[in-house]
Amino acid sequence: MKRVLLSLWYVVISLFLVTLVQSSGLPLSDAVTAQPASIDHAGLQTLHVRYKTLVKQLTQLMPTQPYILVDTARNHLYIKRGDQVLLDALASTGSGTILDKPGDSKGQWIFDTPRGEFTVQSRLTNPVWVKPDWAFIEEGLEVPKSQADRLESGVLGEYALGFGKGYFIHGTLYTRLLGKNVTHGCIRLNDDDLKSVYRLAKVGTPIMIF
Amino acid sequence: MIFLCAVLSILLSLTSVSWAAEPDVTSTVGITDSGALQEATRVLEEELKLAARPQTYMIIDLASNVILIKGRGVELHRIPIESWSASHLDQLMTAHRLRERPPVNRRKIDPAVGAEQEPISLGDMPTTYTLLFSSPLRVLVFSNTNGNPWQWTVQRGRAWWRRLTVWGNMLTGDQTLSPPSLDLTVSREHAQSLAWTVVEGMPFLIRRSTP
Repeated sequence: MKRVLLSLWYVVISLFLVTLVQSSGLPLSDAVTAQPASIDHAGLQTLHVRYKTLVKQLTQLMPTQPYILVDTARNHLYIKRGDQVLLDALASTGSGTILDKPGDSKGQWIFDTPRGEFTVQSRLTNPVWVKPDWAFIEEGLEVPKSQADRLESGVLGEYALGFGKGYFIHGTLYTRLLGKNVTHGCIRLNDDDLKSVYRLAKVGTPIMIF
Repeated sequence: MIFLCAVLSILLSLTSVSWAAEPDVTSTVGITDSGALQEATRVLEEELKLAARPQTYMIIDLASNVILIKGRGVELHRIPIESWSASHLDQLMTAHRLRERPPVNRRKIDPAVGAEQEPISLGDMPTTYTLLFSSPLRVLVFSNTNGNPWQWTVQRGRAWWRRLTVWGNMLTGDQTLSPPSLDLTVSREHAQSLAWTVVEGMPFLIRRSTP
């Protein structure tokens, strides 16, 4: 019994030492994860040409015009052209909170800003907010039957850029909340930054959100 | 018996489970480095397919120790990798789609209380989690423990358990039970940032290191 315990102890100590070696950044073995096939000089040249061609093809997919980049974790909106940053604006993005849909035991709204690639689909001046159902429900109000009762002016700023499914880049009355995740999925900016975005972005301008 | 166990343990630890060495951060693709060039070309071929579509995607670049968030070939954000280890990465050839995001503790709005309730933030994101993909791949993300002994023990325990499972499968000759696996250690903030960014269905590419 004593011998078995001692043997186990040796195993544990050995594993511990190996872990220490690894966490200290020293190599454990010369094992590799990508085993290259043997290749001669001509093959290497061909591969190099192939690589350069692929790099060129990838470059051709990159946006040549200004594009909008939104960092939802740090609440920043950038307009970039290539590597050049044309605008760095503090923003507010989705809060990530949820709201139950009344009368639907499984349904709920999730207030995230969508991640991925989108394009500017519409450019509006003096937009009017058509309040969706959740805007009434989260305030504990009854959802109106008339469309006219949903309209609210002056809350979205002077401009709004739609990028699909009801999401917009727009202004805000709550500038003190810029830099925080407080919205229902839209991207809010202050008036000056919104004006710059409206000026630089056209319909079709890519919006990359992460 | 004792000697045998000790030797066996050390041999097991050092055998070809392809626990990769800490890679060279300055690794670049050079014309004389055929292995790196082949791997970079393979990844580029896959990336071209992803970049041709309107989506964001991730490249875990083990040769440069960095995770890249990209869209249309443009680098949107980068997360440095502090250390990594891997097994069976030779099986990875194409893009892998994330099955689901790491769990997030979302707060529920109570209309009776009012609309202004605490939103989620980066600080709510997990610091240690597993990313599972539609094709067999498991990525364990650890955050730097900054000397916290409890977190260090838990993380090492998980890593040990995974290795023991792989070794067990090797000894029984059943390597099919061990899917490709990658352990990444990043800073706490970067682990949370990664958890925040990934979304269901997001494609991942892995660029492997070469000798």
